[in-house]
Amino acid sequence: MTVTLGDPVVEELRRILGHDHVLTGKADRLNRTRVPAPFPVHRWAERMPDLIVMPGSTGEVAEVLRLAHAHRIPVVPRDGGTGLTDGAVPLRGGIVVDVKRLNQIKEIDLDNRTCTVGTGINALKLNEVLSRHGLLYPDDPASYPCSLVGGRIGTSGWSLIGSRYGHTRDLVLSFDHVLPTGRVIHVGDGIGRKITKSSSGYQLKHLFMGHQGTLGIATEATLKLFPKPEAEFSPFWAFDDYDSAYRTVGQLARAGVATFAGAVLFDEWKVAYLRRDDEAYIPQPASVKALVCAALYGYEDEVRAGGSRLMRIARSMGARYLGDEISQGDWAARHDRYATPLHGRTRSGQVVPMSWHCEDASINYTNLPAVRLAWHEIADRLRRASDVFDDWGMFAYTNGATGADYLTEIDIGIWEQRLDDAAWAAWVSAKRDLAAVALAHGGSISACHGSCREGEVDLVPEELGGGFDVMLAIKRALDPHNIMNPGKYLLDRAYPDQDGSP
Amino acid sequence: MPDPEKRFAEEWRDAAYNCFSSGHKFCREVCPVMQVTGNESWSPTAFHANVVAMEQGSLEVADVAADYVNCTGCGACELRCPNSLFTGDFYRFRTRTVDLVKGVRSLAVRQEVHQPAWRRWNELTAERTHEPVADGVSQERVRDWAQGLDLTVGGETILFVDCEAAFYRPSVPRSVACVLGLAGYGFGLMNEQWCCGGPAAEMGYEEQARRFAEHNLADWRASGVRRVLVLDPHDYITFTEDYPKYFGEAFDIEVVLVVELLAALIREGRLAPHVPVERTVTYHDPCRLNKRKGIWQEPREILRAIPGLTFHDVDRVSQWSYCSGAGGGLAVEKPELTAKISEMRMGKAAELGVDTLVTACPWAERPLTAAGEARSIGVVDLHELLAESLGVAP
Amino acid sequence: MSYRYRDEMTPPPPERASEVAVTRFEHVYEVDPALMTEHVTQQTFPNWDTLRLVRSRAGHLAWMHAHFADKVVSGEELLDDLDR
Ligand SMILES: Cc1cc2nc3c(=O)[nH]c(=O)nc-3n(C[C@H](O)[C@H](O)[C@H](O)COP(=O)(O)OP(=O)(O)OC[C@H]3O[C@@H](n4cnc5c(N)ncnc54)[C@H](O)[C@@H]3O)c2cc1C
Repeated sequence: MTVTLGDPVVEELRRILGHDHVLTGKADRLNRTRVPAPFPVHRWAERMPDLIVMPGSTGEVAEVLRLAHAHRIPVVPRDGGTGLTDGAVPLRGGIVVDVKRLNQIKEIDLDNRTCTVGTGINALKLNEVLSRHGLLYPDDPASYPCSLVGGRIGTSGWSLIGSRYGHTRDLVLSFDHVLPTGRVIHVGDGIGRKITKSSSGYQLKHLFMGHQGTLGIATEATLKLFPKPEAEFSPFWAFDDYDSAYRTVGQLARAGVATFAGAVLFDEWKVAYLRRDDEAYIPQPASVKALVCAALYGYEDEVRAGGSRLMRIARSMGARYLGDEISQGDWAARHDRYATPLHGRTRSGQVVPMSWHCEDASINYTNLPAVRLAWHEIADRLRRASDVFDDWGMFAYTNGATGADYLTEIDIGIWEQRLDDAAWAAWVSAKRDLAAVALAHGGSISACHGSCREGEVDLVPEELGGGFDVMLAIKRALDPHNIMNPGKYLLDRAYPDQDGSP
Repeated sequence: MPDPEKRFAEEWRDAAYNCFSSGHKFCREVCPVMQVTGNESWSPTAFHANVVAMEQGSLEVADVAADYVNCTGCGACELRCPNSLFTGDFYRFRTRTVDLVKGVRSLAVRQEVHQPAWRRWNELTAERTHEPVADGVSQERVRDWAQGLDLTVGGETILFVDCEAAFYRPSVPRSVACVLGLAGYGFGLMNEQWCCGGPAAEMGYEEQARRFAEHNLADWRASGVRRVLVLDPHDYITFTEDYPKYFGEAFDIEVVLVVELLAALIREGRLAPHVPVERTVTYHDPCRLNKRKGIWQEPREILRAIPGLTFHDVDRVSQWSYCSGAGGGLAVEKPELTAKISEMRMGKAAELGVDTLVTACPWAERPLTAAGEARSIGVVDLHELLAESLGVAP
Repeated sequence: MSYRYRDEMTPPPPERASEVAVTRFEHVYEVDPALMTEHVTQQTFPNWDTLRLVRSRAGHLAWMHAHFADKVVSGEELLDDLDR
């Protein structure tokens, strides 16, 4: 259902935000429907909001939500718009609350090692300022140059160097949060703004992270800071087969090296992918079938010591070090080589622009090989049937310092221009199958993006079990009219009496 | 959908999808307009997605023409885009936001969708054969800046001086002339110089831009010019990107950027800066040199050759997200936005504790100077600074 | 140092580098142009632009290291130490 907003509401919004910060143009709306995740282009306009507001303060956000609550108007928070599970995509029209103007640095507290920022700020930009104080905010997703703090909170994101520094949930200490009714609360450990550990009351911080905007809007966050590392080490190794690489990555992750920030395993589909257009791998001999890399950060002496240990382990496992140039270059390119449209190929090898779909389950180490085979089979099935799909290979990234589980990613290229209704249906069903494989292997459907896209979302109740009923109860309690990002995560089920719609 | 949009969308389809299909917006945080407005409708991503929408029949150029004003043509977005930076050279296919923005602006003008200040600006430029950058701009006065310098007209090598420098910042071309004279590098002035046409092309007045280009090329041909020296980065873009597009292989003129020439003359020992200039400076990379041409080394070479300077450099990659806001006609149609961008740039300089911001772009100097006043930071042109250190300041 | 149309529009001849790639400039790979004939065709690419991108990429990678840490440890050095 699309609500067509009446003039009085628009007028009221203009009063709250000022004329320039309420956008109603067609292009304004079209451009707030898009996120990078593939979707049929001919259905683009189905996801248009009615208007966009660009608040400049927590107070303005609260006023907008109070108004929306009173008039039962859907509200979708949008920050960087880089989310890969359609979180920032309006499914029922309404108001997009674009928080990008909330991008100020309010405070840098050198003594407690925290900073407080508006949630529209980007971590790379923040770190340019922090580096002057020798500090780093180490939330480093591959979308580091473009995702914003509010979206990191809304998705409870995952960081490439999280094995050393933790992920978004560990790095965000507390934030101001506007509830769906417009009430402003502060959530963190306890009520403290800069407290990193409390056991007072329910632990609400987790609840208000990763909800994909269904429980309100974070406006100002206090973040944990670290000394900017003195040294970085990022070795890349080549292997003749997946199994050796798999065994090696396990050993590296379990080694317990304190400066270890993460390790990545690339399978042979991923190596084949790199051979298409990556300068480091075009000249590699055909025998190279899998890769592993690791990253370490810290003081130089500790990085050298830990690095030596990892080099020794890798060598004992038969790994071939790829040299400093490739190792350093590829790590520095870690944000840039995901969504490369021209990487797409038809089955006859012609270049076509494809969008990047990234399936991102969390899988235990011992189940990685089985999930890998099952996932490639699903991708193969799509590819065999149509030029619309292309298997771009798999990565497995350590989630933490002990090597228990991995963000397990299959990248699938999708030729969006040719994504007709039949191909879309095949895709949605494949996504359901991919998620089912993750669950069948004791994993979680998503390690970082969230799981509210068509297909995968059907399995969320199965994954969470009784926890899903708790989700419904919380949703209904906090958002009685289902205005916050309605249609996501099957949360309409919390409102059987309302026919699912606000 | 009207035909012009359809034809335009067809021409730009692959480029538009190459952006639309990545959609990650690595461009956002380097875009000067996005940094000061946060308005996604004005992002490079939106500029491409709108073309897809035009192809789908959901947008017409009149719906979006005003959005496309919000671009300085600095080129940060297209360079930072992984589709350029990581695979542009590999596929010989890169992101071309600057050309796209010019294309949409021109599509709008062809359909009589005008921006008021741009229309007026180009009418006046047509009347005066130069941009109305100051009072008294006219064809008769285009060489006034050279009064008393004893320069000849014509020859194989000529110095082309952009409108802003010729009519508003004459000390810049005067410095260049004096420095080249000192090095014994021979050059003349252009016979009948008109505006290069670049600004008209940037604002969508393509026909006028071509008319000016044709005049200039014909003038060079008629007077036997083989080599054109340019001191303005904007002219350098026009001559190395627009003119080749207009004239193809027939464009047989060599184009030389003065900053590169001066750095070479210093390297060869033909210029030896020796008068100490006691200033604490940082350097502003002109977008059209650093981002759009990859020219960042030579200006720094020149600065490092000047004795007395304390130079706090900010590297060229960090400066991909800096801009004066003056380019792409923004200062004409939306001066308030230019001012915000300049203010942001000046803020970065202030953090370094410098007293002077050196730049090498006459167009950047006006808004930066205004932004520097509040912070007591002066703006000095690189060519002028060099002339001072060579003892030939005009 | 200067721009001449003919020089810029004449790229060095391609040499085959792999089944799908060629090379024209030293250490710079390009897609086999035959793969870009049906759906997406290549753009006009003056030589300065290719070289600008290659150099900017190197600059960007160096910048990204410096952004995250003050120095980069060499694996080759660590391996030498292990051998000693
Ligand atoms: C190239 C690329 C690489 C990526 N790599 C990673 C990676 O390594 N790790 C990772 O975790 N993700 C990754 N992602 C996904 C994406 O960047 C993250 O999900 C990111 O956290 C989204 O942030 P955003 O600012 O773009 O948010 P958006 O996309 O705008 O929003 C994401 C969700 O959060 C909600 N939201 C937005 N703002 C707020 C707010 N203020 N309060 C509450 N909810 C809000 C939205 O409604 C939406 O549901 C990648 C994406 C791309 C394109």
